[in-house]
Amino acid sequence: MAQGMLGAFLEIDAACDAIAELKKQNVGKITVFTPTPRHEFENALQPPKSPVRRYTLVGALSGAIFGYWIAIWGSNYWPMVVGGKAISSWIPYTIFSFELMVLVGGLSTVAGLFIHSRIPRLTMTVGYDPRFSGSYYGVWVECLPERLKDAETILRDAGAEEVRGEQ
Amino acid sequence: MATLAQPDLTNEPKRPNIAKAGLQLPAVKDYAQVDREIMATLRPTKAWFTLLMASMTCLAIGAASWIYQIYAGLGVAGYSPPVMWGVYIITFVFWIGIGHAGTLISAILYLFRAGFRTTIYRCAEAMTVFAVMTAGLFPIIHIGRPWKFFWLIPYPNWRLLWPNFKSPLVWDVFAISTYLTISVTFLFIGLLPDIATLRDAEKNPMKKQLLSILSFGWRNSENEWRHFARAYLFLAAFSTPLVLSVHSVVSFDFSMALVPGWHTTIFAPYFVAGAIFSGMGMVFTIIIPIRKYFKLEHYVTLNVMDAGAKLTLFTSMVVGCAYLVEFFIAWYSGVQVEQDYFWNRVFGQWWYAAWIMLTCNMILPLSLFSQKLRRNPAWLFVLSLFINIGMWYERFVIIVPGLSHEFVPWQWSGYRPTFIDMGILIGSFGWFFMWFLLFIKQLPVIAIAEVKEIVPPRLRRAASSASHGGGH
Repeated sequence: MAQGMLGAFLEIDAACDAIAELKKQNVGKITVFTPTPRHEFENALQPPKSPVRRYTLVGALSGAIFGYWIAIWGSNYWPMVVGGKAISSWIPYTIFSFELMVLVGGLSTVAGLFIHSRIPRLTMTVGYDPRFSGSYYGVWVECLPERLKDAETILRDAGAEEVRGEQ
Repeated sequence: MATLAQPDLTNEPKRPNIAKAGLQLPAVKDYAQVDREIMATLRPTKAWFTLLMASMTCLAIGAASWIYQIYAGLGVAGYSPPVMWGVYIITFVFWIGIGHAGTLISAILYLFRAGFRTTIYRCAEAMTVFAVMTAGLFPIIHIGRPWKFFWLIPYPNWRLLWPNFKSPLVWDVFAISTYLTISVTFLFIGLLPDIATLRDAEKNPMKKQLLSILSFGWRNSENEWRHFARAYLFLAAFSTPLVLSVHSVVSFDFSMALVPGWHTTIFAPYFVAGAIFSGMGMVFTIIIPIRKYFKLEHYVTLNVMDAGAKLTLFTSMVVGCAYLVEFFIAWYSGVQVEQDYFWNRVFGQWWYAAWIMLTCNMILPLSLFSQKLRRNPAWLFVLSLFINIGMWYERFVIIVPGLSHEFVPWQWSGYRPTFIDMGILIGSFGWFFMWFLLFIKQLPVIAIAEVKEIVPPRLRRAASSASHGGGH
């Protein structure tokens, strides 16, 4: 079961200082909550690149291929024969390929977002406070019971408005 | 509404017309103010109910007209051979065009880092979705027997209705359904953090539960934002060419046919520019009353209006250029029937429609060269109404004169819309505004999370220096 310490900050630099100190002392796994994306947290946490782009690439390529395939297969299976014209013609079929590239690419991007953000989430996990979508920044440190005191001290020293343990 | 802060314009730059990459909201001080003021727009008011009733009345007129048309047959719609595309197809193209500004503002301007989009894109995105939903009704109304609408869907079947993958009408089905799906996705993904904000602020347990489901358990964690930013960027990158492709494909419905005035390669860029122009017109029609009524002038600032007006002016000039080039093409082609068609358009039986189009879309927008008028919301609102009218007439001028003046005299005819046509046209506005009004009372009309990005975050250093009496 997740156990840790949650700090609520009003000031962004205070939250970043807390993150830096928590990382330095290797207290535990850090999760930051912020009402709006901020580069300050990205700089403090140094997260890896989002893998969502791979979903986009695979989805877009699959969609493009499927778009050509469905038009060519449909035309060949139920041919509409017009003298002097090819039954399958790749130039107009590029429209299907393009549209399905966008459609499947877009939807797989969303799938990537959902998978890696772990949403839809049926219950709110520990370490969240409704104020984090309002004016507060949250720093949740998931750690071993013996490091809880260290986490609390760091969060308080950094200037957290409120610090509480959760599990 | 009393809780809404009045805009503080004392910090407005002295030369506010100088273009800036970023949006500045000097009257917005902190995150709490953003939450309070934008969420205040969600409270139902008498004016909102009145407008909703008016929209539903228009919708009822449209529904009654459609029911009568189903009962009496398509003959009541004013079609007379050879003009078999009329108000329904005109209105279909009109609404598809309206739907383009939303994605332009949310996707293209996002990629170009045009800050002025931030406070208007939510409105424009919602407008896109509802406009495409409205447009989608018209092919069904136009076919006359709506219960057979699924015949429009291109799938192989045993009724010998095999899809012709070389037909622009089939391309249209793919393009518009993709556009609707991606627009809805884009709107919903952008809404997720704001729905979470509403969920966290909600006191009513039932509503809170509903918002929890709709927010998908979004928690504003840095991890979620990281993937969100990447996904949003890719969706914007996909939507940008999609905007250009959809109206190009709609233009192919016309330009692939050998009808005078239609069979021209200029149609794709001409339609795309026209769509963006008409969409900007509708954005102004919607955003200016919202801005005024909800006292959001310090979010949708005059700089935002100015930038939007410049975009409108630019697209108006592109459209105006296309109008003139069309005449040049007809003259230069040396084709008699093409030249007759354009003469008939401006000086013949359709002169009134052509001159309404030219006045509203080409002449009146030139007023936006004046900075004073670009920064005058009342004028922008009036102009936007003219643009809406002008762009509807543009589609009228494209569709009806071409069909009514084809190659040989027996194909020359007139066209007069009936009360049924007009009733359904009014109904389409009722349908669109009904959805839009319902939307603005359920979900934030300005993106809360994105506006917070612009507001400078609170800093401990600033707070401590202020508490010690120091300045900065």
